[in-house]
Amino acid sequence: MKQDFLKFPLHLIVRPFDGFWDMKYEGKGKLKVALLILLALILTTILQKQFAGFLVNMVDPRSLNSLDDLEFTILPFLLFCIANWSITTLMEGEGKFKEIVMATGYALLPIVLINLPMTFVSRFMTQEETAFYYLLNSISSLWFIVLLFVGIMTVHQYTPAKTVLTMALTVVAMGFVVFIATLAFSLGSQLYWFIYDVYREIIFRT
Amino acid sequence: MHLKRVLLLVAIISLVASIGMPAASAAAPYEAYTYDYYGDSSPLPAPYVPDAAITGESLGVGDFKEPSDMFVAPDKSTYILDSGNARIIVLDTEMHVSRVIKTFTNNGKEDGFAAPQGLFVSDKNELYVADTDHGRVVVLSEKGELIRIIDNPKSDILPAEFKFVPLKVTVDAADRVFVISRGVFEGIMQFDDKNNFMGYVGTINVSPSVWQRLWKSLSTKAQKAQMQLFIPTEFSNVDIDSKGFVYATAIDISSDTPIKRLNPSGDDVLKRLGYWAVKGDIRFRMFGNNSGPSKFTDIKVLDGGMYVALDSNRARLFTYNDEGDLLYAFGGRGNQLGVFNTPVAVEKIGDKLAVLDSGKKNIVIFRPTRFGTLVRQATTEHYNGNDDVAVKMWSDVLHLNTNYEIAYLGIGKSLLMQKDNKKAMEYFKLGMSRKNFSVAYKRYRREVLKEQFGTFMTIALTLILAFIAYRIVRLVIRRRAVKHEAGLS
Repeated sequence: MKQDFLKFPLHLIVRPFDGFWDMKYEGKGKLKVALLILLALILTTILQKQFAGFLVNMVDPRSLNSLDDLEFTILPFLLFCIANWSITTLMEGEGKFKEIVMATGYALLPIVLINLPMTFVSRFMTQEETAFYYLLNSISSLWFIVLLFVGIMTVHQYTPAKTVLTMALTVVAMGFVVFIATLAFSLGSQLYWFIYDVYREIIFRT
Repeated sequence: MHLKRVLLLVAIISLVASIGMPAASAAAPYEAYTYDYYGDSSPLPAPYVPDAAITGESLGVGDFKEPSDMFVAPDKSTYILDSGNARIIVLDTEMHVSRVIKTFTNNGKEDGFAAPQGLFVSDKNELYVADTDHGRVVVLSEKGELIRIIDNPKSDILPAEFKFVPLKVTVDAADRVFVISRGVFEGIMQFDDKNNFMGYVGTINVSPSVWQRLWKSLSTKAQKAQMQLFIPTEFSNVDIDSKGFVYATAIDISSDTPIKRLNPSGDDVLKRLGYWAVKGDIRFRMFGNNSGPSKFTDIKVLDGGMYVALDSNRARLFTYNDEGDLLYAFGGRGNQLGVFNTPVAVEKIGDKLAVLDSGKKNIVIFRPTRFGTLVRQATTEHYNGNDDVAVKMWSDVLHLNTNYEIAYLGIGKSLLMQKDNKKAMEYFKLGMSRKNFSVAYKRYRREVLKEQFGTFMTIALTLILAFIAYRIVRLVIRRRAVKHEAGLS
């Protein structure tokens, strides 16, 4: 229990090459843990928007919506995983979908670990000290990107150059997915309204 | 039955009570507003309500014709420049006509004005008229006698065929004359008391955007010749404050600084510390009716560092405090009393405001409401450094409008002066000022740390000691266990 939920993720974020290898080949990663980290990230985002100190909290309180935070964290996460899986399947990646989800999930851990405490520390900061808040937030994001890079590289057994390429292609593929989803949604709604109109025409006929 | 009667009685009483209530909100045909921290317009109680309209007819001097400017002299008499009739109507403090200036004696001959556009009365009660079509600025004494005429400026920096077309004029305490002239893009023309041209002040810089530069570098010579020139915009009006700083407005739709405050060396020193640019409306439609940024045609310096600028685009008045916070904006287009057709000039008569409307040919007098008076007084007191007096007024303002961020800021600043840091933090948070909040918080935190230092250190030292004791005990127990295992005890 402690091994899965605490020791391994913490080991992974400081020794990413080792950690991701163990995750893939030694079966140390758990999908449950990765999803739990995602949940913690959502919680972090919500708490950060709600409770970060006044000096660093630029969010308009009237626009706070936890459901939005939920979907805007889960959707990009899934989008990335699906897009990455689609691309890497075509490009001889060795990773399974589950491994991609796990690698992405574990990579998110530094954001949770740094941003959550910083949210509360930020309440005790003056304007001059907020620089540290922003610095640490940037470090957590950078750390996430590095971990994601190493994770994807290890999971698919790619060279660094190929990882960069697939990452770029993943972003393009994410765009495609969004485009097609919007298209499908718009067509679907038009179809819905068409059928609804026909239905109304029929019931209003006397 | 009994209940019904009681209900009926209540209904009648409430009906009567509602008749008795003054319909205060209905008096203003516009909605006053300011912009909050998030850039949304937040409605305010009307700071001013229209009181009366003065027409040429009501004054008994015949209708105004294209009136173009108005000035209230230090002695509270009002000068109206009735441009189309080439005359100046002087009103006394009771707003009755005291005299009409149509002509003056120039070298023994009768002389008059031709479509004059600007008017100013100096502290010495000398009347400066921008006599536009005659290309001169006429200076008359209080009695209407000619003192001097500024025309045909001569200078090395002026081209030989320079045509002097003065539009607006203002004068400082040293009798230096600032003239806005049509077709002059270099700035405001400055003349000394001997009618000599001294140079320009307050040049507006032009900075073409990257896109414009790129476009220009790609086009041919013939295309370039067809292009619009990158010339600075002209100033539209000037006023001067008691310290001798010139306030100028420019109609520059691409600029965020259409209002300038020029120091004697011509630099713009207007404070722009508010959340939003000092440019009138910050949210407006880009196309269609009522679209585009505010176009200021007049500016008037009020007391307490405040100034009011008149937007001719949407016919609104914007009042700012000395730090560039929008206090309130009101006005609009329409036919009712209090809204305008073509407003051209705004003036201050005591605590009232007067707006000259060229289209409606009248002057509308605005009377301050309780809200407007309180805001103005509080701003003035704060400007003069009497923060404790200002706080009471700001609290009253908050009773009238709880969403007024400037009032929270005002109270916060004075609480900060009184070293009530915790409360100041609260008010700065409500006023959305992060900078001031930080200052208050820093002091508050130091205070708390100083107070709690003893407790904090006691706890810390206890914890450290406890930890050391724990380690020692653990060590002793372990050693004992080792000895025990080895069978030494």
